[in-house]
Amino acid sequence: MLELFSYSDTGWGDEILRGLAITVQLAVVTLPVGVLLGFLAAFASMSRLRILRAIGFGYTTLMRGLPEILTLFVVYNGVGLLWNRLAMWWNPDAPLTEFSPFIAGVVALGLVFGAFAGEVLRGAFQSLNTGQMEAGKAIGMTRSQIFRRIELPQIWRFALPGLGNLWINLLKDTALVSVIALNDLMRMTKVAVGVTKQPFTFYLLACLIYWTMCVLSEFVLARMERRANRGIRSA
Amino acid sequence: MTQPDVILRAEDIHKSFGNLEVLKGISLEARKHDVISILGSSGSGKSTFLRCLNFLEIPTSGRVTVHGEEVLVKNGRPQNVRHIEHIRASLGMVFQQFNLWSHRTVLENVMEGPVHVKRESKAEARDRAETLLRGVGLEERMQMYPSQLSGGQQQRVAIARALAMEPDAILFDEPTSALDPELVGEVLKVMQSLAAEGTTMIVVTHEMGFAREVSSEVVFLHQGRIAEQGPPDTMFTNPQTDEFRRFIAKVM
Repeated sequence: MLELFSYSDTGWGDEILRGLAITVQLAVVTLPVGVLLGFLAAFASMSRLRILRAIGFGYTTLMRGLPEILTLFVVYNGVGLLWNRLAMWWNPDAPLTEFSPFIAGVVALGLVFGAFAGEVLRGAFQSLNTGQMEAGKAIGMTRSQIFRRIELPQIWRFALPGLGNLWINLLKDTALVSVIALNDLMRMTKVAVGVTKQPFTFYLLACLIYWTMCVLSEFVLARMERRANRGIRSA
Repeated sequence: MTQPDVILRAEDIHKSFGNLEVLKGISLEARKHDVISILGSSGSGKSTFLRCLNFLEIPTSGRVTVHGEEVLVKNGRPQNVRHIEHIRASLGMVFQQFNLWSHRTVLENVMEGPVHVKRESKAEARDRAETLLRGVGLEERMQMYPSQLSGGQQQRVAIARALAMEPDAILFDEPTSALDPELVGEVLKVMQSLAAEGTTMIVVTHEMGFAREVSSEVVFLHQGRIAEQGPPDTMFTNPQTDEFRRFIAKVM
């Protein structure tokens, strides 16, 4: 049984580990993209300009309303197609580029993460104590100083629980990319099952690995929340 | 021409919120070492007027001159944001709700302005912050967070935070109104000693004792206008207007 998981040509250990590495890479690269999109969406939906508010609202509603897997297909197939059309239009001799499934995964998962994160962040900004921002103004801080030194450190307190949930969703949603032929943990598991005909063993292993990642994440998140809550009396 | 010791001059300040005209032309001059108490019942516009002085509210019309330099406002927006930031840095402000930054310790609250607005070195800012906190009796509390302090202690930190900028004047917006009665005294004591040291102060307050004993000038606002103005002794012993007579009868 153990040689099934061995790190060799006969065992599946190395394939599974490589799959795990792709899964982790995908999640880790998507996170900053998603958080950035989330901030942009939050700013847009809180903007004084109606057009920006409409864009923010449209983006959020659209991404929240689509199944993630559909978003992934649209990005992977549609954007690749669009890219090649544009390239052809720019230079008819351009070689057709294969849209990398990794990048498609980052874009699609980032878009989804950003839409949900936008709502979490907007709520966090609106929970801030405006008096503290006024105190920043009154002492002569610039707008950007008020944002960086007063607002940003405090929104984590309100946003971390929500963002933590989204991170865990993201970790699990990376499994979707297995359908666009990215060799992540899920896909490598499926390949192993196909070859060895031992579905129970390998699916259980995958379950364990995903679950362990989530538990580790929860542990780190709990620590981050404690740090973000410094100075706040617990109720 | 502006006299050299005039720190702040407001001329004919009007402020409307929608159709509601809150300030109907208020003028005031603060010279060095003045302690001006602004009195008035709620809705008289006294807090709004104070907030117009450092542009937390933008006056609808009128002129504010700080250090002889007029602050230009056009269409409800300041012409030069940098100038306003500069003026705010030179006018301290203490709020009714303290408004300390809850994610920073007491010491960090007091160091923030000097380090990040005035670009002083951390060591220098820390030295002065410690001295100031000792001065307001909080040397034991420097590493605590605001939420661990009583209201009176928080307000004393807020005063130290304003003083750390070495401002030319400090604006107080009802500094004791949010405090439990037994904590009012400790804050008033600090303000009194500031006045004795010659700090220029403009104080919106309901504390008649402070207005009467400490201030050099009292301004009474009624429905967005100055109804009466003068030195406290004559004003309190011999009020000239019915409005102020009724006001002191109510509060004293």
